[in-house]
Amino acid sequence: MAGTYREINYSLRPAKAIERKMLCEAFSRLYPFGKIGTYRYVGFGSIYFSDFQLFHRNLGINDMLSIEKDAYAKECFEFNKPYKCVVLDCRPASQVLPELDWKVKTIVWLDYESKLDEAVLSDIGSVCARAASGSLLLVSVNVHVERDPDETTRQDYTAETGLPFNLDDYRLRELRKRLGDCLPPEIRGNELRGKGLATISHRIMKNGVEEVLSVRNSLVSLEKKLVDRQIFNFHYSDGTPMLTVGWILFEAGEQHKFDSCSFNELNFVHFGEEPYAIELPCLTIKEMRYLNAQLPKGGAAGVTLPGVPPSDIERYAEIYRYFPTFAEAIFT
Amino acid sequence: MPTPDRDPKRVNASPTKEFFIYMVTRDIPLTRAILDLVDNSVDGARRMRPNGNFNDFWVRIELQKDYCKIADNCGGIPVDIARNYAFRFGRPKDAPLTPGSVGQFGVGMKRTFFKLGRHFTVYSTTSASRFDMDIDVEQWISTDETNEASGWHFEFRNVEENVLDVPQDEIGTRIEITQLYDTVSESFRLENFLTRLKQEMSLAHALSLDRGLAITVNTIPLRHEPARLFVSDILKPAFVEKTYACEQLVGKPGPPVTVKLFAGVAERSLHDGGWYVFCNGRLVIRADQTSTTIWGAPHGMRQYHPDFAYFRGYVFFDSDDASLLPWTTTKTGVDVDSTVYKNVRQEMIELSKPVLTFLSNLAKERAAYENADSTDLSLEQAIQSAEAKLMDGLPATPSFVAPQPRPVLPGPKMQKIQYWKPAAEVEKAKQLLKVGTFTAVGEKTFEYFMEYEGKE
Repeated sequence: MAGTYREINYSLRPAKAIERKMLCEAFSRLYPFGKIGTYRYVGFGSIYFSDFQLFHRNLGINDMLSIEKDAYAKECFEFNKPYKCVVLDCRPASQVLPELDWKVKTIVWLDYESKLDEAVLSDIGSVCARAASGSLLLVSVNVHVERDPDETTRQDYTAETGLPFNLDDYRLRELRKRLGDCLPPEIRGNELRGKGLATISHRIMKNGVEEVLSVRNSLVSLEKKLVDRQIFNFHYSDGTPMLTVGWILFEAGEQHKFDSCSFNELNFVHFGEEPYAIELPCLTIKEMRYLNAQLPKGGAAGVTLPGVPPSDIERYAEIYRYFPTFAEAIFT
Repeated sequence: MPTPDRDPKRVNASPTKEFFIYMVTRDIPLTRAILDLVDNSVDGARRMRPNGNFNDFWVRIELQKDYCKIADNCGGIPVDIARNYAFRFGRPKDAPLTPGSVGQFGVGMKRTFFKLGRHFTVYSTTSASRFDMDIDVEQWISTDETNEASGWHFEFRNVEENVLDVPQDEIGTRIEITQLYDTVSESFRLENFLTRLKQEMSLAHALSLDRGLAITVNTIPLRHEPARLFVSDILKPAFVEKTYACEQLVGKPGPPVTVKLFAGVAERSLHDGGWYVFCNGRLVIRADQTSTTIWGAPHGMRQYHPDFAYFRGYVFFDSDDASLLPWTTTKTGVDVDSTVYKNVRQEMIELSKPVLTFLSNLAKERAAYENADSTDLSLEQAIQSAEAKLMDGLPATPSFVAPQPRPVLPGPKMQKIQYWKPAAEVEKAKQLLKVGTFTAVGEKTFEYFMEYEGKE
């Protein structure tokens, strides 16, 4: 069966498009650690390679590796490679990551469509165990908690557990199946409602990063110890709620380089548990152009547009620089 | 050290402090060392209420980068016990018994102090006495250990006996360990470590939690799901009780060892299947899948196998004299050479056999069904229709009860067909046929062909 890339045109997902541009702007600030053009980019390009195009064109990154688990469609992926410098590896990330040369500063974006599970944590571990100082690790996972399932699934639950069906318990059991012993035992099923799964996924990824680094750091001097600083914590949804968390990993002795990146100047950079939610107001191109002409204006105060609620205008003012416009175009 | 004035035939076999501080501490994982401190609190609660519930008793554990604190309100350590027994390395013969205690060997608490850090303080208050001590381990090492009288002891900083009217809310023990070793401090910082600790602790102390003891780790209360076994009219776990007289076990009078055994099935889980061993309510082996319990050639049994992932066995050893129980000093395993354990293991093997036979039959039934040799799934239905029930209150059942496999009914000889087709085409066929499974796609397309081409 073809991957989801044939069901959704990834380059048309507006929230994702905004996220990509925000990431790109943040990456451009990595220069204190090294020229951004010397970084390697490792991502899951799918057949659209939107991230590869953006980072090659805007950042001049030439060392690019796209990991694609769907080996059946290798030719299709090869055909769609936008640039010669993109290398394709048609194996699961769990096989590719341990074989990479990690001496190169790398931006790795593990952009999964699935939920967080032990395999994802293991991939996170592979990066953290070896990434060079100044590298960036980004992980995107699906944080959509299970809906009330159909009668068959309910009956299966009772047959397998010997217990009456309960939605919270069912969700917790599914989560435990995915995460095993990484799940703190005090977590209850009702905590997974709403944004709960996103909060817990974030926490467990963070724990995974910290534990691997703790072992890696145990035998090195104080200034060589690798520090993980979270800079991204995005919530967004193009239909399915997603979470992207990103950490920069650098040696404690390079704190001054991190400081000179001034990530804190970017309003979408979030260092803590509080996420930055990418929320898109639905506007016409004409409306956007009208608003653009009044921006930037130290925020959205005073910017008006008939028929559009002020909250939408505020949201737009925050993200207008990254806002995608989709238009029909004819290539000849 | 040469001692020329001593008897030349005398050979020095005295222990060194370094042995306890740097060697014995290697035998126990950090999480288990912390569980040992909780054991002391549990024993305190038992001294207060030997057979009662533990409601209102609490243990609060705080693990931070710089310290480990554990406080309880479980009665405190009496000065006399502290002075003569609690801080000795090894349990003296004349030490008073705490009936059903989990502290037994006289190593746990000290080993934990030495494993975690270089400094510890203990404050304890009972209804009639108080003491506190403050020990710097490095300093303690440097006092002369060859001088028995001065080297092998700790000192109270303050001690009061025969105190009247001790307020109830002061009673209990507080322990603080500081100057933590780097690896310990690093572990305490990691939530993944705390997660493992909480998981182990809620399993190890499940029975005390059930009795009402409130344990918190960094203010988070421990909870646990009590174990359950599948029960129905046609599926019944074995439950057997046995008693071993002290005379039989060690050749002298004393309290007996009672043993409760359960063997049955529960939710399928490769990780959780196996035998669970408890001593005086403390879990010492979790989901064992090795020859330590019943598995493999040494016992003439099959190795643990995914077919057995439904299997659960529980054995509870209890005695007022904890030294009769088959645990090891780290409480992470059993003394496989102990007479009582060898005897009970034989019973565990015999109780397991009918369960494993049932599970093998279940796997065969599934295989026959998948091969289309049979349409019978009655064993699977027996498992699926059972209810998960708590072990408390299960009736005595000498042997596991389960339905027998049905003999294969005579019918036309069946043949399985298997083939590969492009996934996209199969999906399309599935939609056209309006069916939900690939098996149905195969069957329907075959029937369609036979309908048109197969008639004479």
